[in-house]
Amino acid sequence: MPAEHRYLSARVTRNEDARLLTGRARFVDDVQVPGMLHAAFVRSDYAHARIVSIDTSAARARAGVVAVYAAADLGEYLTPAPLLVPPPPIPDVVFHARTHLPLARDKVRYVGEPLAIVIAESRYIAEDAVRDVLVDLDPLDPVVDLEAAMADGAPRVHEDLESNAAAKVVQTKGNYEAARQQADLIVRRRFLYDRGASAAIENRAIVAQWDTGAEELTIWDTTQAPIPIRNGMAARLGLLESQVRVVAPFVGGGFGPKIMMFYPEELVIPWVAIRLGRAVKWTEDRRENFYATTQERGQVHEAEMALTREGRILGVRDHFLFDTGAYDPYGLTIPINTQCTLLGPYDIANYDSRFTAVFTNKPIVTPVRGAGRQHGVFVSERLLDLAAKELGIDRVEIRRRNLLGPDRFPHNHGIMFQDSAPLVYDSGNYLPTLERAVEMIGYEQLRGEQARMRAEGRHVGVGVVCYVEGTGIGPYEGARVTVEPSGVVRVATGVGTQGQGHYTVFAQIVAEVLGVDVTNVKVVTGDTREFQWGTGTFASRGAAVAGSACHAAALSVRGKILKLASQLLSVPEDGLELKDARVEVNGSPERGLTLAELAGRANPLRGAVRPGSEPGLESTAYFGPDRGSTASGVHAVMVEVDPETAMVDIKRYVVVHDCGTMINPLLVEGQIHGGVAHGIGNAFYEQLVYDDQGQLLNASLMDYLLPTATDVPPIETDHRETPSPFNPVGLKGVGEAGCIPSGAAFAQAVEDAIGNPAFEILQIPMSPDLLFDLMTEARRG
Amino acid sequence: MKLDGTFTFGGPQESVWALLQDPAVLARSLPGVEKLDASGPDQYRGVMKVSVGPVTAAKFDVAVALTDKVEPSHFVMQVDAKGAVGHTKGTAVIDLAPVESGTEMRYSSTVQVGGTIAAVGQRMLESVGRTMMKQALESLDRELKARLANGRSAT
Repeated sequence: MPAEHRYLSARVTRNEDARLLTGRARFVDDVQVPGMLHAAFVRSDYAHARIVSIDTSAARARAGVVAVYAAADLGEYLTPAPLLVPPPPIPDVVFHARTHLPLARDKVRYVGEPLAIVIAESRYIAEDAVRDVLVDLDPLDPVVDLEAAMADGAPRVHEDLESNAAAKVVQTKGNYEAARQQADLIVRRRFLYDRGASAAIENRAIVAQWDTGAEELTIWDTTQAPIPIRNGMAARLGLLESQVRVVAPFVGGGFGPKIMMFYPEELVIPWVAIRLGRAVKWTEDRRENFYATTQERGQVHEAEMALTREGRILGVRDHFLFDTGAYDPYGLTIPINTQCTLLGPYDIANYDSRFTAVFTNKPIVTPVRGAGRQHGVFVSERLLDLAAKELGIDRVEIRRRNLLGPDRFPHNHGIMFQDSAPLVYDSGNYLPTLERAVEMIGYEQLRGEQARMRAEGRHVGVGVVCYVEGTGIGPYEGARVTVEPSGVVRVATGVGTQGQGHYTVFAQIVAEVLGVDVTNVKVVTGDTREFQWGTGTFASRGAAVAGSACHAAALSVRGKILKLASQLLSVPEDGLELKDARVEVNGSPERGLTLAELAGRANPLRGAVRPGSEPGLESTAYFGPDRGSTASGVHAVMVEVDPETAMVDIKRYVVVHDCGTMINPLLVEGQIHGGVAHGIGNAFYEQLVYDDQGQLLNASLMDYLLPTATDVPPIETDHRETPSPFNPVGLKGVGEAGCIPSGAAFAQAVEDAIGNPAFEILQIPMSPDLLFDLMTEARRG
Repeated sequence: MKLDGTFTFGGPQESVWALLQDPAVLARSLPGVEKLDASGPDQYRGVMKVSVGPVTAAKFDVAVALTDKVEPSHFVMQVDAKGAVGHTKGTAVIDLAPVESGTEMRYSSTVQVGGTIAAVGQRMLESVGRTMMKQALESLDRELKARLANGRSAT
């Protein structure tokens, strides 16, 4: 890196916004292909039932219907979806992979599971024909509640298994039992933490087109992982990978569920398009989204923390149940994130963590922004708050006493993270982050004023919580950087983009290395024809991993530029400078060549490309970190609670965040703001309510409440930069940071505002109803 | 969903009992029922239209079965309904007893609902259920009084 950055760490506005704000950006539903057909799905109304019969004859007979397929019509194509993430190599891990079929056969396991697909000339006809399909289902007792699911004699979601346990994992460090014997205080509670729908603005959509002449399949898909979709579909359909092109154009929010693969719709629609020789489109509607798109859901924790009377944590024991839904194609990513993130920024020598993943008759669970991390943070932060109360130690002080010091990095926790690598924190400096947040929220001052405000009948409270976020995991991403003969720099990478600002941050990295204007760097992403190696956008890894690949490719192109210029100008490379899209000779700036000229000279029409060199100013590079980098931060909130109605008014929200070197503070703040909005929804509003028959009772945005603009306060941010040693630019991810600690921060603040020692918040979300009941209970003593 | 309550009919217990076993009367009195025909002893099949919140005029195929009969004081009514927007399954335990002003009916029912109607109509479901129950009972009471009046004029 040059000593002075021009584009890196600058508040550059986004290259993609002109296209997005003027409505020119293309989304999957914008794709129109001549002769395109439309699909709609017949879905189960029951959470658990045997399929007696599916009669599609009336639907086939409807005018405008082209085809109807149920499981029996798929023939050899009816094989289960792949296990996307196998469990990490943790000793004695028990894991039962049960993945879904493209269309259900024999049994349905959740409301919304697809039973048949109708293909028609229009979506209207397809939806009418869905109602013509006669499905006879014989209902079975459903498995809904997590604890009831594990009781003896509970009905089984997968009857070939002995119980509803999908997995059992134990991870320990040190010796918790021994630590417990030394403790002055043991705090033990039961915690419930529920998560909800991702509720992206854009629902899922797929268009598949088979070009008979070219023998090529094009799939436009709202996926976060276009390359693995391409690879998987080619294998399933018996095509060469080069015969399948997957395009994930602009995508209106991913948040995790769009990395799930392969959804039933993703498996069926390309198969139908090939069979019929016509393009097929399906766009999920909002109600369908509540059933057909994966969700994240509840965990039940029985946890305890052992401490000295000075408030030092000796150890933590946490046993929990995790709801994985009807199938488990995403493996154990969420509960392992929970298990690992619970340790937070704290020095915890002894840990006994075990969980059981449980099959239930509910939609499939895969990560939603935060991906289980918030569950772990909630448990450890709540236990610390309760311990502070018991010990008479200030809440911030007990955290100060337990933070890992800056001399403790890299810090190996001795357990396994979701990426199958040991949980090692690369770098961090936690105390200054905490102190800065405490200062920004005015913690000490507020503590002083609280009594006076309470005397006036005002219940104001503050919450300060710490967290870490494992980000930027492997395996790898790649990028190709090309200087075109026009001088424009083109960057191609495979990750796929859902609004994060990749067109800007990748451009900034490359612009910095090549000394060109950031608007002159054109990024292409999410099209397998442009770049065909990579995994996808997840785990807050785009900037850290694909960004590092862009950096490496740009450095390689920079080398080629200087080598060629050195030959042409007969000046040694160290006598040249690359700036403002031009190479010039040090000391004689009038002597030089523009990047456009050099790009032309690098690809001559006559003459020879010398042995050992390549034509063009182009390089492809890959970056694969051994393990992820760990971001961290502190959220501090101030709330006022109405003691009569239990409504919470968020007065202030402060985030001090450390994601290593920032490529663009403006975008970092944008990620944090969006994350906090998600966190507010999670803390107070968003809950998927299932009845005891596994029916989702709030499958509309009328009943499933999302925070609106008026519910999200201005968010005050500040940054610390502790570069990661795990990648050359020092990057860490920030995509999920805003939502991870929100529940814990609000719980502490609301408890503080009420100020009754008997009032404890042990579950999320905390709706006004719940808070009202808890307040009433606490008042009664 | 549970719907429990009592209702007093203005007539003798035997007349109320007879009324409740008559499919033609039930078809006339139950809101939304378009037809109800006997399909076997104490079994009926028919068609019903119901509106709940955003789900309007949803058509259901209904099967009704009367069981556990202890004339003239007790029976159980099971209703299974299936339609394009979902399904419901209800069981009502009904007890009749004479009171000063006529006959008191005690009913205790549980209703399970699935599909679209559960997902988007849930907030309205209970109040719609109560309203339909009230309409049905009042309509049956009018029917009873009409019958009794006819009966008196006939004798």
